[in-house]
Amino acid sequence: MLEVVISDLKLENPVILASGILGSKWSSLAKVAEFSGAIVAKSVGLNSREGYKNPVVLNQECSIVNAVGLASPGAKEFSKELEKLFKVTNKPLIVSLFAQSSEEFSSLPNYFPFASAFELNLSCPHAEKLGMAIGVDEKAVKDCIKAVKEVTDKPVFAKLTPNVTDITKIGIAAEKGGADAVVAVNTFKAISIDVVSRKPVLSNVKGGLSGKAIKPLALRCVWDLYEVLDIPIIGCGGISNWKDVVEFILAGAIAVQVGSAFYESYRAVEGIVKGLNDYLSYTGEKIEELVGLAHGGV
Amino acid sequence: MYCVKVAEVNKMCRDVVEIVFDRDLRGYPGQFVMLNVFGYEEIPLSLSSPKSLTVKGVGKTTKALLNSKKGDVFGVRGPFGRPFSLPSVDEKVYLVAGGIGIAPLNYLYQTLKDEFEVIAIHGIRCKDEIMYDYPEIATDDGSAGFKGNAVELFLRIADFEEKMRVYSCGPKPMLLNLYKAMKKRNLLDCLEISLENYMKCGIGICGSCVTECGKRVCKDGPVFKGIDIIF
Ligand SMILES: Cc1cc2nc3c(=O)[nH]c(=O)nc-3n(C[C@H](O)[C@H](O)[C@H](O)COP(=O)(O)OP(=O)(O)OC[C@H]3O[C@@H](n4cnc5c(N)ncnc54)[C@H](O)[C@@H]3O)c2cc1C
Ligand SMILES: Cc1cc2nc3c(=O)[nH]c(=O)nc-3n(C[C@H](O)[C@H](O)[C@H](O)COP(=O)(O)O)c2cc1C
Ligand code: FES
Repeated sequence: MLEVVISDLKLENPVILASGILGSKWSSLAKVAEFSGAIVAKSVGLNSREGYKNPVVLNQECSIVNAVGLASPGAKEFSKELEKLFKVTNKPLIVSLFAQSSEEFSSLPNYFPFASAFELNLSCPHAEKLGMAIGVDEKAVKDCIKAVKEVTDKPVFAKLTPNVTDITKIGIAAEKGGADAVVAVNTFKAISIDVVSRKPVLSNVKGGLSGKAIKPLALRCVWDLYEVLDIPIIGCGGISNWKDVVEFILAGAIAVQVGSAFYESYRAVEGIVKGLNDYLSYTGEKIEELVGLAHGGV
Repeated sequence: MYCVKVAEVNKMCRDVVEIVFDRDLRGYPGQFVMLNVFGYEEIPLSLSSPKSLTVKGVGKTTKALLNSKKGDVFGVRGPFGRPFSLPSVDEKVYLVAGGIGIAPLNYLYQTLKDEFEVIAIHGIRCKDEIMYDYPEIATDDGSAGFKGNAVELFLRIADFEEKMRVYSCGPKPMLLNLYKAMKKRNLLDCLEISLENYMKCGIGICGSCVTECGKRVCKDGPVFKGIDIIF
């Protein structure tokens, strides 16, 4: 009932761990994998990156602003860390990649022969020349996906940024580049200012907004993409319970990713999957039958 | 994040200060806050009482804190994390602190001392590092109290025949020694340890504080039961 298929990837349920959440160590990934349909590791680039100084995360009502800054040990080191996962879980592992160019992107998949799929981070809003710097440019998006598709047979997903005038143009570019699915969306550009010190809170000044507050915004992105794309959409942004998941599916997503909700509990995904299961048992439907249903007759 | 004002700064020893705020931070013993020292970094610090932090200068931010004074303002997120649990009435309480690990245990001591028999042990390098007057002192160089480390002193004093509860915080090697000693005696369920892994978010999402067994020090800890950790 809960199974979904995205390209070649079979998931036992449609709830996936989002990149950058508890995703730097095999031990936390293994714990989250227990209940998730799949897990996405923290985005990794060719070389190691320090990330920004603390404060890098600010939790506020209904949302989180972060500018971790793509901290990463680099592809070689991280591959060793992720390899340890396979002793303890058989859930699909999606490796999230960041790079400055299509050449650099195409050098990365080789480090991760064990990956079930790759997700290109074309959307981190707070790292110079990376992520969103590429993800706002239709041609660059297409080229990067093409380059990665050429070096791997595994499914390749494009994680999109909502910080563009028209996300459907970027989605179409990803599809033309050969993406097997899009992930919508990464965080929204944001800032937070402390009224006592009268300074921005995060060390990087600007960051990205995630959590409950962005759910309706992310949902709209999925809705718009569903109207123009043929490839599957993985929804992401502010999901914290099973009803949110059903909303994303009705808007056009085949699966979802969950990140900030782990602030509430390590077992966030467990509760969502259980709720989803109960709901579908009640209606007697499969996930696939619900995808995009809300569009009908509008 | 909210802001707190410093009401008082007490020098505890050469490179340790106790910073007392003008208001209660509403946390329990064992919990920590993410303290934003404007112009420096945001760092995790344990509550050393309902309204104070006790800081040792080890790097840029903590050294800046050594110079803080009345009226200074800091940003605070938290308190976060799982606190120490309370002992049962029939348990004898031991606090085993190493160095600045005394900070969270001081709050626990102040909370428990009137109702429980509490034996506090503080291991330090030499007598210049004495911070509080109540603990039994162990020094590496023998310049005060027992010559040796905190765990050695604990093993000498502790009455393993009686029901006990042991709380500890300090450097990893010390915690490991204590853990082994308790494990050997089959007493891991009487042990609670506070860990200090490197932290970024403090709220359980970034993953930087995760232990080898997948626990988040900021959210599932920082206080762990002996039976729940694998060193
Ligand atoms: C839950 C918890 C409670 C703590 N309680 C206290 C306390 O009550 N009193 C106290 O003096 N210290 C405490 N610490 C340690 C304190 O956070 C570090 O000493 C401080 O972050 C160092 O910052 P710095 O800029 O001065 O040093 P740096 O120059 O940045 O580094 C000095 C050392 O501190 C470590 N460190 C740096 N940043 C962090 C970080 N964000 N988290 C953990 N370690 C770090 C480094 O690995 C290094 O060994 C606690 C740490 C944790 C995780
Ligand atoms: C602390 C933090 C770190 C993140 N790191 C990454 C990352 O490395 N790569 C990435 O593609 N997205 C990253 N994201 C974005 C999330 O994967 C997700 O797209 C976003 O948080 C929205 O989902 P949510 O509201 O469920 O958190 C990060 C988000 C947070 C809060
Ligand atoms: S500090 Fe981010 S998960 Fe613990």
